[in-house]
Amino acid sequence: MRSTFSLFVVICLGHVLLISAQVQSKSGLPVLQSVAFGSFARAQQLTTGIADTGRSIWTNYFALRGAARENAALRQRILDLEVQLQEQQARGSRAQTLENALGLKESLVARTLAANVIAGNPQPGSLTVMIDRGSVDGVELGMAVIGERGVVGRIIAPLARDAANVQLIVGRSAAAAVTFERSNTGGMVMGGYGDPPLRAAYVSSLATVQPGERVLTSGQDGIYPRGFPIGVVESAERNSSGAREITVRPAVDFSHIDVVLVVLDRPARTAPSGK
Amino acid sequence: MKLTSVVLAILVALVLQVTLARYMVGGRWAFDLVLVGVIFAALQWGPVAGMFAGTLGGLAQDVLAGDVVGIGGLAKTVAGFLSGTIGQQLLLVRPSARAVIVGVATIVHRLLIIGVFALIDQQWPAVSWGVMLAEVIINTSCGLIAFQAAAALPNALERQRLSRRSSLSRRNW
Repeated sequence: MRSTFSLFVVICLGHVLLISAQVQSKSGLPVLQSVAFGSFARAQQLTTGIADTGRSIWTNYFALRGAARENAALRQRILDLEVQLQEQQARGSRAQTLENALGLKESLVARTLAANVIAGNPQPGSLTVMIDRGSVDGVELGMAVIGERGVVGRIIAPLARDAANVQLIVGRSAAAAVTFERSNTGGMVMGGYGDPPLRAAYVSSLATVQPGERVLTSGQDGIYPRGFPIGVVESAERNSSGAREITVRPAVDFSHIDVVLVVLDRPARTAPSGK
Repeated sequence: MKLTSVVLAILVALVLQVTLARYMVGGRWAFDLVLVGVIFAALQWGPVAGMFAGTLGGLAQDVLAGDVVGIGGLAKTVAGFLSGTIGQQLLLVRPSARAVIVGVATIVHRLLIIGVFALIDQQWPAVSWGVMLAEVIINTSCGLIAFQAAAALPNALERQRLSRRSSLSRRNW
């Protein structure tokens, strides 16, 4: 029994380490990485200090014999690099001129790929589905997935050759840049809430968002193409602290998704359309 | 044999989970058949089997879901180990009593996941108590069916064996 409990503790610690390795700390680094990095940095500072001192003594006192030759070689190198830089600048300028001449504009019609939903969320609450298209079909991480009634989600890891994982827009940590159709204001819609599962944030306090208003993708996130429906504003109220809470009912019925479209072309980030 | 049985139970539960969950994505009905499989393994074969099943099933779910790998593994390992220990201490044999353990384990498992997410996000996540209640009911029902089937299976096999033997002896006669 004691050995079983020890095994249990070891396994739990293993899981905690595994989670820590993936979770970001406040500095943006994974917790395990930041702790390991912090501990290692001190030892590294010490060894680097010793090594630098030794190197400094060697280079400043014993290794000056080839300095003049090295100096000449470096001057020659600088000359070569300056010539290369000028060539690159000329090429860049020509490319810019060509782009302007051709009038490269973003295509409004994006290429899509139909896919069947083959599996539901393996973890209750994770809100992901698996589709029968993968990297061999041109599917890449971060691509938008849309349904017949609006935005479904985006491709997330893991991505297999002939299958891909789709994070639903209503899932925890899912988000999309949006525009409110009537008030023409921008904002962000985030998933992972109760009922309705979407909340809007970063909406101008001057905007008059009202229930019933359609919420469309703005294309500013570089994932979802512009103009696809996300849902409808269900409520826009101020809470006790004065902050506005906007809830959004998704356009897609996530309990009935059989066929979806993967948007193969990523949208160019558009200029903000909101006020 | 025990290891094969545990792996098989988890595999079957995982395949059933992803197949059936397809029809209930984002709905009010939630269930975790892998957790049922873990508790089944824990009560049938003890805490070590429960722990192993929890680690295996939880990690598989985490990897497939594309979420933080380890959260489900940790929650299911704890649930499997506790269920196995309780099952061993209380000598639970009746399917209904074992199904109750599945229900309790579902609550513990869900609260553990909520707690870990709260620690990671530094804020309390949105919890739908209705969905959680549905998960407890569905998981308990599935557990009851699984334990009933497991209890009935040896008797059915024995009856089949006896009937085959009696028919053979009649033929010899």
